[in-house]
Amino acid sequence: MSQGIIRGWLRSLLIQASWNYERMIGVGVAFSSEPILRKLPDGVGGESYRAALGRASAQFNAHPYFSAAAIGALTKTEHQGLPPETMSRFRTALSSPLGSVGDKIVWAGTLPIASAIGLILAVVVSPLVGVVVFLLVHNVVNIAIRAWAFNAGWVAGIGVGNRLGAPLLQFGLKYAGPVTALALGLMLPIVSAWLFADFDGSAITATAVVAAVGILLARWLWPTLGGIRYGLIVVVLAALAGWI
Amino acid sequence: MIDNVILLGIWGVIVGLDMTSVGQTMISRPLVAATVAGVIAGDPASGLVVGVVLEFFALDVLPVGAARYPDYGLGAVAAVATAAGTPSVLGTGLGVGVGLVIAYLGGVGTHLVRVLNGNDVVRNSGLLDSGNRAAVNAVHMRGLLRDGVRAAFVTALGLLLAILLRNTVPITLQGAVFLRIVVVGAAVSALVSGAVRFSGRRVVMQWFVLGLVIGSLGVVAL
Repeated sequence: MSQGIIRGWLRSLLIQASWNYERMIGVGVAFSSEPILRKLPDGVGGESYRAALGRASAQFNAHPYFSAAAIGALTKTEHQGLPPETMSRFRTALSSPLGSVGDKIVWAGTLPIASAIGLILAVVVSPLVGVVVFLLVHNVVNIAIRAWAFNAGWVAGIGVGNRLGAPLLQFGLKYAGPVTALALGLMLPIVSAWLFADFDGSAITATAVVAAVGILLARWLWPTLGGIRYGLIVVVLAALAGWI
Repeated sequence: MIDNVILLGIWGVIVGLDMTSVGQTMISRPLVAATVAGVIAGDPASGLVVGVVLEFFALDVLPVGAARYPDYGLGAVAAVATAAGTPSVLGTGLGVGVGLVIAYLGGVGTHLVRVLNGNDVVRNSGLLDSGNRAAVNAVHMRGLLRDGVRAAFVTALGLLLAILLRNTVPITLQGAVFLRIVVVGAAVSALVSGAVRFSGRRVVMQWFVLGLVIGSLGVVAL
């Protein structure tokens, strides 16, 4: 079984490879669960194996790192032989919390924090140090979450929801927002000063005007006018103005 | 001529796959993708400048749920290919401009791949629902292959655009400076807009402002 669990965990690193609007990461969950389901009583190709793999490929979405908890928990319930209706309801109930926790802790937490630290170190110390520290900070969290989540799911099975109340996760949920805001605020003047190092006064003023217009437009028009669209518009306007 | 076009192409595919399909280790973040591309292209300094500017843009959007977001990793590779070998004042604006176009196209490509994956799932839904192992593996691997093809195609497009612009656009010093001003301004706007939106709650906004104050004091002190 342990070999199957390791294979399943490794496969979960590819969980989003077949992301689609019909089943989202459902097929990825089935792909990751398959090695663990091979040890069901009637083996590969048996009735319970096929039924479990079929259920595993149904629609599902969650944060990719925290979805490891779903793979562990769902395969555990299959091995425990819980009724299909219970497993289906359990699967539906898991999706939102695993997505929400991951979005808050990783996408709105450790990723921007690691990015801010990496940017500061890249411009103050060296690019290599910035890149290495960024990757280290982010991926220590990435691997730790995936490993913890998978184990929590496999050990707790249908009770995995309680594991989401773990003190460290609650700590992360409480402080991710303020720490991210602090890190981004700290980074902005330091990295901007580096970017503006060879700008003269008029160039800094012009940059500030472009930035201010973008911020004001984003207040009213986001998400229609996000950062990339504003960037593309000002580049096109610059081209039309004959500067390119 | 850009050094190591083949290596840049391979790096682009690796970066493109990292964004969604493989691991999400964040080598696809512009800071990493552009810095490494700069080393490959023989101009680490340009890689860093372009990476920093595009990282500002990338901090505008969080890759949550089914959100559609630009592929800034592929954009970063194309941006470095455009800017490498030219002084920062000349290359940054045009490079980031190309990077934004390619990042946007990369995002459109991701949407297309997801639609094609969905068609594949619908075609094979009977086999998937019946727990057919071969179907599960095949549908999943075809999704991975599609994303690889997307990354390769968009990277090739970016490198082609970079070569074309480097050889044909007679950009003046004044134009290059102006372009750099507008892309850096837009990048700062993207970062600040994202941070303000993220810090919407008053207590979080206070932390952002505190960071700004400490960072500004640090700049003055240095």
